[in-house]
Order: sequence, then C-alpha cells, then structure tokens
Amino acid sequence: MPSNQLDPNKWVDRYSDYLFNYTIVRVNDREVANDLISETFLAGLKSAKNFKGEASERTWLISILKRKIIDHYRRNNSKKGQAEVKINYTGEDSEGEWLEEQVADQFDRTAEDEMENNELGLAILDCLDSINEKQAAIFKRKTIDGVDTEAICNEFDITPSNLWVIIHRARTALAACMEKNWF
Amino acid sequence: MSKKNKSLFVDCSEAATCCTKAQYDEAGFFEKIKLMIHLAFCRTCRTFSSKNSKLTRKIEEANLKCCSEEKKREWRESINKLHREEHS
Ligand SMILES: [Zn+2]
Repeated sequence: MPSNQLDPNKWVDRYSDYLFNYTIVRVNDREVANDLISETFLAGLKSAKNFKGEASERTWLISILKRKIIDHYRRNNSKKGQAEVKINYTGEDSEGEWLEEQVADQFDRTAEDEMENNELGLAILDCLDSINEKQAAIFKRKTIDGVDTEAICNEFDITPSNLWVIIHRARTALAACMEKNWF
Repeated sequence: MSKKNKSLFVDCSEAATCCTKAQYDEAGFFEKIKLMIHLAFCRTCRTFSSKNSKLTRKIEEANLKCCSEEKKREWRESINKLHREEHS
C-alpha cells in the first residue's frame, strides 16, 4: 500500500501558495504563474493514476510544475528566441542543451538573493503547513495578505483578542519550526 | 479586563500578546509601555521578543506572495469538476 495518497480536493488549500511562490520568482509574472499552476493541477488530475505514492503529494506536484515551467520557456523561445539560437548554435540537435542554458540564464538574471529569499519563503510556507490549519490560515491572512484585523475577525467570526492569541500561537510555532534552519 | 488595563505590570501572556501586536504596528501606546516594563525584568519574554522580531524580518525578506482568493476559487471549482467527472 502506498504511503502517500492523492487528495485533489485539498490541493488548492494545501499547495497553491507554495506553488505560487515557487513559480513567481521563476517566471516573474502573476498571470503566467497562475496559468502554469492551473495547468499543473489539471495535469496532476489527469496523471493521478501514475502516482505511486513514493514522493509526497507536494513533491509530485512540484515535479509536474517544473516541467510546465520548462515548457513555458520552450514556448517563449520558439517565439522570440530563434535568432539567438542561430547565433549561438548551428546544429539543430543542440536545441535541448541551449534550452537548458536559457533556463539557467533566467535563474541567473533573477538576482541570486531573490532565489535565496524564495527558498526562505518556501521554508516559511513549509513550516506553516505543519501547524494548526486554522491558525495558519488566520496568520496568512494577517501577515501575507495584510488584511485588517477587523476584516479577519469578521471573516472567521472571532474577537480581536482571539485573533491575537491565535496569531501569537502561530508565530511561536513558526519561530520554533524556523529555528532549525534559518535562525 | 479593567484590572489588567489599570496596571502597568502585566503577566507574560499579556506581554506576549502586546509583543505580537507590536510586530504588526498595532500595539497601542500603553501596550508598548507595558511591554517595555515587562521586558525590563523578564528574561523569558526578552528572548521571545527578539525571536518574534527576527521572524518579522525574515517574513519581510521572504517577500511572500499569495495568489488571489478568486484564482483559488476558480482552481477549486475546476478541480472538483474534473475530479467528479473522472469518478463517475
Ligand atoms: Zn514575561
């Protein structure tokens, strides 16, 4: 029996922020990132029967997303990169190689610390995954979305003092989780 | 509650709440004073407070972005729809 199972109905709640932060720094465009994530979810559903349960659900989705990102560069390159191909490479069979360089190039161009911050962000989201789901949701609304205290209280039907206790607990758990690698 | 508000000396849990509010610039004037007084003599809360500030800095550095709720709703719907179709 596989140790990991797919639960597509939870994908959006569990992974969309993670996938989004992973993608945005690599493609630098919200629209493109959203499209790639849509494609990833759909491709995931379609190939769900191939999931062997060896990797975690998220690792598996990320591997699909990575291919989508490469495809995105491939599409872009075929539109505007033809001239460059001809200058840099004469043989047609080196296209694969060139593509990899292009992708690596894109990563270089995004400042290196941006990638590092992206890793930090993914680590934060990772830690948030491991804490109480409701605490994490309220923490995200407040800290990442920057929503007003009052609006969050209405949304979750809690009092401001409840909110601060919840946020405080989330931050304590988060700091403890982050301590291992980042503090 | 009124008893708490009158005193400038607060316990660790109230200090912790003030500290967390302060991370979001939502601590009031008296809350800040209470926190400062508490931190002056409570080592545990001082340690926590510096961790809490560090966490704020790290979160800022990470520059996390959320996808829009609208997009999430859209994804949820299309996944549910496809998922149902495949299982019927
Ligand atoms: Zn204390």
